[in-house]
Amino acid sequence: MNGVKENIFARVEAFYRDYGARARRLNKEGRKIMGYICSFVPLEVMTAAGCIPFRVRGDIHEPITTGDTLLETIVCPYYRSCFDLSVKQRYEFLSGLVIPHGCDSMVRSYSVWSYSLPYPYFHFVNIPSVCDDSSFDFFHEEINTFRKSLGKFTGKEITDEDLAEAIRLHNENRDKVRRLYEFRKADPPLISGKELTMVLTVGSSLPADEFNSLLDGVVAEVGRRREPPVRKGPRLFIDGACLDNIELIKLVEELGGNVVADVICNGARDYFPQTDVGGDPVQALARRYLDKINCPKTYRENKAGTFEGDTASRFGDIGAYAKEFRVDGAILYVYKYCDPFGFEVPARKAYYQSIGVPLLYLEDIYSAGTVSQLRTRIQAFLEMIG
Amino acid sequence: MAEEQKETRPKKRMTATQAAASIGPMVKEFITGSLRARAEGKQKLAYTFIVCHHEEIFRAMDVVPLWTENFAGICGAKRDAERFLQRAESLGLSRSLCTYALCGIGFDQWREELGQMPPDSPWGGQARPDFMISTGQILCDPRSKWYQASQQFMPDVPIYNLDLPYPLFQRDRDHREVWGYYHQYIVKQLRGLVKFLEGQTGKKMDYDRLKELVDLSDRTWNLIEETYSLRKAVPCPMGTGDAMNTMVPINFMMATQKAYDFFVGLKKELEEKIAKGEGEVEKEKYRLMWGGGLPSWFALTDFNYFNSKGASFPVETTYRMVAPLDEMNIPESKDPIEHLAWRWLGYWTFWYDRAKKRPESEPDVERLINWIEEYKIDGIVMHEAFSCRTWHVGLIWQLHQLAKIYKPIPVFVIGREGKKEKVDREIPSLILESDIIDITSYSEEDTRNKIDAFIETLESNRLSRAA
Amino acid sequence: MVFVLGIDIGSASSKGMALGDRGPLGSFVCPSGGDFKLTADKVKDELLSQAGMSADDISRTIATGYGSKLVVFANEVKPDIVCQAKGVASLFPSARTVIDVGDLYTKVLRIDDTGKVHQFLSSGKCAGGSGRILQVIAKVLQLNVEEIGELSLKSKKRVEFSTGCAVFAESEAISRLSQEVAKEDLLAGIHRALAAQINSLAERIGVEQDVAIVGGGARDIGLVQAFKEARGQDILLPPHPHMTAALGAALLAMETVRQ
Repeated sequence: MNGVKENIFARVEAFYRDYGARARRLNKEGRKIMGYICSFVPLEVMTAAGCIPFRVRGDIHEPITTGDTLLETIVCPYYRSCFDLSVKQRYEFLSGLVIPHGCDSMVRSYSVWSYSLPYPYFHFVNIPSVCDDSSFDFFHEEINTFRKSLGKFTGKEITDEDLAEAIRLHNENRDKVRRLYEFRKADPPLISGKELTMVLTVGSSLPADEFNSLLDGVVAEVGRRREPPVRKGPRLFIDGACLDNIELIKLVEELGGNVVADVICNGARDYFPQTDVGGDPVQALARRYLDKINCPKTYRENKAGTFEGDTASRFGDIGAYAKEFRVDGAILYVYKYCDPFGFEVPARKAYYQSIGVPLLYLEDIYSAGTVSQLRTRIQAFLEMIG
Repeated sequence: MAEEQKETRPKKRMTATQAAASIGPMVKEFITGSLRARAEGKQKLAYTFIVCHHEEIFRAMDVVPLWTENFAGICGAKRDAERFLQRAESLGLSRSLCTYALCGIGFDQWREELGQMPPDSPWGGQARPDFMISTGQILCDPRSKWYQASQQFMPDVPIYNLDLPYPLFQRDRDHREVWGYYHQYIVKQLRGLVKFLEGQTGKKMDYDRLKELVDLSDRTWNLIEETYSLRKAVPCPMGTGDAMNTMVPINFMMATQKAYDFFVGLKKELEEKIAKGEGEVEKEKYRLMWGGGLPSWFALTDFNYFNSKGASFPVETTYRMVAPLDEMNIPESKDPIEHLAWRWLGYWTFWYDRAKKRPESEPDVERLINWIEEYKIDGIVMHEAFSCRTWHVGLIWQLHQLAKIYKPIPVFVIGREGKKEKVDREIPSLILESDIIDITSYSEEDTRNKIDAFIETLESNRLSRAA
Repeated sequence: MVFVLGIDIGSASSKGMALGDRGPLGSFVCPSGGDFKLTADKVKDELLSQAGMSADDISRTIATGYGSKLVVFANEVKPDIVCQAKGVASLFPSARTVIDVGDLYTKVLRIDDTGKVHQFLSSGKCAGGSGRILQVIAKVLQLNVEEIGELSLKSKKRVEFSTGCAVFAESEAISRLSQEVAKEDLLAGIHRALAAQINSLAERIGVEQDVAIVGGGARDIGLVQAFKEARGQDILLPPHPHMTAALGAALLAMETVRQ
């Protein structure tokens, strides 16, 4: 057992560096690997179909070249990288790709993806932009359309029982991630931001049950720690869209910050909301993915009638986490060309001010080349709140 | 202050039709008329966007639309958008975002801060609305976030955000399998809009009036289609430059008798020009399609530059937001809201069936091919506006796919062995780059150079074309 | 005696070519500087001097390039892609795809057997892929831009350069230097990145053999080598790649005069 103790993070790092290694092997064994982008694709449907959901990632160290042949450069830079890697056949083991209505970059490039890549299955899941009652009805049907389509592709109908089991598995996943986040509450945290993000990134390339086992191993390992892996420093909250790599967090921690909480896609945004159990599974999925996931893309009506009331409602989860994890400052990390987050920057800034959390706003492209500029700004911010 | 500086006044563009020339005062009236209505206080004013399929509902409820995209376009055309863009940036908004929205939000924040219109506002400025109607449609993220961002400065102004999706094209699926529940959702969203407006105006919807207006817009759609089809004539009597004016009644005045009458007039004018053999260009040498992209509103004179080289623009995809209803194959419905929802779906899925019939085609590409043939097109021009993902992502791919599956130009070349052989070439294309209103992205020199180069390629194709 | 001039006023450098009945009578290149009118005169005077001719002897002048409209003494202005195609076709009759690596833009031209362009594509503003980045990097490394190509070929260690945009490239280069990456390795990495972008542009429009590379950027042998590797094939390279547009302009002038 001693060997396993040391090996768990080494294993995580190996899977992180060779992202997709496990999926590639499983594919050779005959499993169907279903690629997806964005947190809005109902994972449970893919797991229930017997497929392995595989989150397509970008690579900030890989210059975007082949992708530019077919996709405009005004597309979200993260998304461009995902596309570039896909057409460079990094993900040749995929049986298909599922893209949701997450943002314009995704919607407007759906044809480009489906005509450029040789996978036998492509599907677009139309997520509503608002969340009225009628939106849930519509989304319920749309999820069933996805379910039927995927069932046709795999040759086996997806039953309600299949879905219920998948929901159980993924909820277990979410519980375990939550457990891992508990270790962040220590001061300094018992798990570094870099380690945690690496685990979550790796997890999105594994079948749900294997991810659960991995999380068990990590939780056990971290639980055994007597010493924190980082020196005490300002406690930071990361706010943003998809951060599928450790570079930003690694940089913050190198400069002495402790990354202790987040709302990022590959973090709390994805993992904290549970799917309701008992009752109609499709309805539960509709509710989880449309309502419980708190993403700027979903328009939420201003019921308060005031700006302060509106922001408190839209960003309340941030305030709650900030308290729960005793946060000293926050970093809002937004990609250039990102409309859903970009338009919210003034409102988010105002909200952080209202809860008394200093905020550093960073606009970045998806590339390792900007590290030195980020370094200067993060350093200055840490000194300010330190 | 940098905000008070304006760029030099642009030259006025020449129009090919009198109809297009009459648009200027109409657009000015949107602004001045809404300022009057605000002052009178008898009607409700609503910020809103084009292509929300709600004009009939608005007109039936006597709500005055404040077209925020149009106002931003006016600022752009007058080359007076920079100060509003800078203001938006100072709030924390990135310049890489939709510049219409940045202009609008910048303007709103300034107006609210001052408690009056910003100094020298174009045509008196944009009136303060009573409510804001946006759409979270599948098409455009900024339109779902813009008013929400402006609401920070106008917290007493409520928003109704409509969701108007349509099923995306998927080759292996018949969209009719799903459009039933799409229809139900759209109907509920539109009824929700009606309820919201009833609450805001204190009036009940008059469904007879609504039915009349829907019928009027149906007839207007068909009329526009017939009118624009006249541009297939050789020489082409009206180009995209003019269409960037005539888009005004289509997108801002739908469901009004004035819009219908406008096209009656335009149709007559085009018929007369065709009878006389009068073209947009005196010596038409090249017929071009504006295949995609919003125009640079501050650089519409580029169309005259094209004209000066013998190029006309018989057809464009931009702002042609209508399709012939009798070719739509949508279910009939007596209820006007249900009919509107079917019309919406019919418009967006219009090219799906045809695209499925051609291997490797796709609706946007299919439309390009059909129009290349119907309008006898020699070349395609696309415009990539850096701040707009909605209309500009996918253009490179469309041209790529078009070149792959459609090669309509036969030419004779000397092959490798020195023998004469026939080769089929794709339609030449040109991609222009700048933005819809951010003039710092535009270089007239560079654009004109590219146009010159493109004309040369069109000429070389014209000369090498096999009989 | 026919005597024609082809003047190419680019955003970075200006080139001139003088042709007589028997062939070239002069060629010249100099930085464009800020005053294109002045530079055009300078080029003309230099060509006249080399050819031993006076201004009255000029049968025709065609100007091309970014600043072409300011060549007041030109009889005609032609787009640079037309002149490039003409120049390249005269040197390489088998060329069908021409890559013109300029300072601000890289253009890919598809030409036919008669040297006419039937399709072209220009690099975008932010997509990178133009020669400007080489100037930026040379400055950062405190080298002459003429030296960097040869130096890059000495690279022994592969270094990946991730940003395409010239603005970001500068700061990435600076940070790499501070990590003690060797200059030649850094240069090789940049050349590779640039070559990949240029290749991407070419792929967008479609590549038909044979492929030729011209323009100021093609004087950089490191870039030419990297581009060959990116394409996995041999590329036609004229001896004076920056002169081909001026040559083409002069040839077109000659054609007009002889008609």
